[in-house]
Amino acid sequence: MVDLGTATSLANLGLVVGTPAFKSVGPLAFGPGGVLFAADNVSASIFAIDVGDTADGEPQDVNLENFDASLASYLGCSREDVTIRDIVAHPTSGNVYCSVMRASGDAATPVIIRVSGDGSIGDVALDDVAFSQYDITDAADADDPRLVTRMQLRTVTVTDMSYVDGLLLVAGTSNEEFTSTLRRIPFPFNGEAKSNSLEIFHVSHGVYETAAPIRAFVPYQGNTSILASYTCTPVVQFTLADFDTEKHVMGKTVAELGSHNHPIDLISYEHDGGEYLLVCNDRHPLFKVACKDIDVQGPLTEPDDSMDASPADPVTPGVGVPRELLPHPGVKRMANLNGNGVLMLQQDEDGRSHLRTYATATL
Amino acid sequence: MTPGRHLQLEWAQYQGRDCLKISGWIEAELRELEKQDAGALSRRLALYPSEAVPQDEGWPVVPPVAGRFLIEGEAAWFVPRFPFVDGVSYSLLVRSASEADGAEAWDIRRPSSEGSATTEALVIYPTAAELPVNLLRVYVHFSAPMSEGWAARAITVSRADTGETLDDVFLPPEPELWDAERKRLTMLLDPGRIKRGLVPNLEFGYPLVEGTTVRITIDPAFRDATGQPLRAGAERSYSIGPALRSRLDPHSWRLTAPAAGSREPLLVEFDRPLDHGLLQHCLSLQDGDGRTIEGAGEIGKGERIWGFAPDIPWTTGEYRLVVKPRLEDVAGNTPVRVFDRDVTKAEDAPGEWEAVTVNFSCTRASQRRFQLDH
Repeated sequence: MVDLGTATSLANLGLVVGTPAFKSVGPLAFGPGGVLFAADNVSASIFAIDVGDTADGEPQDVNLENFDASLASYLGCSREDVTIRDIVAHPTSGNVYCSVMRASGDAATPVIIRVSGDGSIGDVALDDVAFSQYDITDAADADDPRLVTRMQLRTVTVTDMSYVDGLLLVAGTSNEEFTSTLRRIPFPFNGEAKSNSLEIFHVSHGVYETAAPIRAFVPYQGNTSILASYTCTPVVQFTLADFDTEKHVMGKTVAELGSHNHPIDLISYEHDGGEYLLVCNDRHPLFKVACKDIDVQGPLTEPDDSMDASPADPVTPGVGVPRELLPHPGVKRMANLNGNGVLMLQQDEDGRSHLRTYATATL
Repeated sequence: MTPGRHLQLEWAQYQGRDCLKISGWIEAELRELEKQDAGALSRRLALYPSEAVPQDEGWPVVPPVAGRFLIEGEAAWFVPRFPFVDGVSYSLLVRSASEADGAEAWDIRRPSSEGSATTEALVIYPTAAELPVNLLRVYVHFSAPMSEGWAARAITVSRADTGETLDDVFLPPEPELWDAERKRLTMLLDPGRIKRGLVPNLEFGYPLVEGTTVRITIDPAFRDATGQPLRAGAERSYSIGPALRSRLDPHSWRLTAPAAGSREPLLVEFDRPLDHGLLQHCLSLQDGDGRTIEGAGEIGKGERIWGFAPDIPWTTGEYRLVVKPRLEDVAGNTPVRVFDRDVTKAEDAPGEWEAVTVNFSCTRASQRRFQLDH
């Protein structure tokens, strides 16, 4: 859990009233003072926005069946024209914020939707709003005098973000290089980003190393660790302190989530004195992992052939951190809602999306 | 239903914005609506995408289209919060003051955008005829900006001999990887299946099959940014050879030095196809003093050759080809590291992350081929 509840003056956060030039909207994360970070992968920018959410009182569970149909109607388009990119819960009000692309191509409009506890839908005004902007540039290229072809073909696509202790952690994928970089951007946006190259370290015979991009990650254990899920299936633990001291950071592979599968989203929650992580996947079920089990899990360094033994049962490999399979189908995105519940965006077999809150005690 | 009137819906402008104009009201009805505040008005009039309106004439459970109704002159106007979408049908629901009579629905369709298919898939990279089985990525270049959301549907890989579609070759393109102009799409092959030892590789092997010929097909249904399909599809076939699993060695490349006094291109021939995207900005030229040589690089056939023509003629003396450490071949190997490294092989240990330079010299003599020394 990230503690974001502290009220902080917007002026101190470097926000200025204006109109952020969003071209698209993707991953979301909340920062200090209820500032919402929204990544725009078309303009390669991250915007910090004051969403003006001062609602107080006990946050409510959010449940909205046929959420995509409601969004389509509100946005005046067909369901096919709605793409839900991310969901995140406001740290104090519990209102749910959702990045949505409406239509596509030249007609594409980025929208940030707010869903209140009573299920009502509104959108965050993106004009005359207090905001600041960070452009994700690639200094290596821009500063390189030897650049022959001055075509900026390389772009960085943000896949996930989290705010931790004055830094916005940003995982991204390049459209050209297959490298794993975690950017750490100071917020307020007035300093230079730091980045670390990441490596999953494997020591024993005949195994691989990887520079694969992080697909999703979540800070946990009081923001001392992050758990990252990779494009190529491993789940890896990093110690955040290493990012300050090492340029090249080695991670500890703690699980393989099975084949033909890609992790989509990760969240942490606490229950009954313990901290747990949930990983949702594009094919496999929702996984639950206890953080205490990650601590004692040694690094996976051997090829895992347990799936060869039971290919029909791809989700119970014999190695790696113990995991529990949860029965919630079709989970596409998750958010920790007020500490007591986990909000899930679930897609059913007919392709319809629903927002459902589950009490942590039931998970 | 209010007897004796027939509402007319038409697309119009209100203060310079697209809106929906609703006329045909009975005078008394309009004057009564005029007195309503915004909240009351929204219980009487609501606009929905027609697909959201139930067949039984009931009031939809979903929220109405965001926007506001105004009563002005002899008409009601709906100004939407977001622009109307071409090709979408909208239904105006009208309820009487008592709300007892159910709702009347009046429909109107937004015209579809006019246009014809003009965008093409220009080229699929790599263009080499043979590729290693551990190919890491494919680029598709389009002639105009494209829409997102089509890559997974419109790009397929099949076996050329049987026509069988090969599933799960590419990573799910979410998010899709585009350049800033939205004209070049990068598709990554599933690296979990490329790296030996990873479960997907153990269980399913490489996504491509050595010894076969595969075909990558771009379906013309892929929509460009204006919503139009492609003018034609595209495809490219490759024969799949053995895995490439060694570092790039720029010193083994064959350089053909141009003659001093000419602006003929330096030609660099590689021992394997290199990544087209990275080739465009990972090679550069310096003179003997380390000054950058301005000029134009060009990628040749099969991404196995690169030419560089200087802006001003070559002079007699030493030059350097500078290779950035992040240049990759089509399997992700760089001059510094092997993408899928066998940690037991000492020669595959990662090197220092620094540029590699290859020296050559230009003389007055005509062009000659030579293998460069180390």
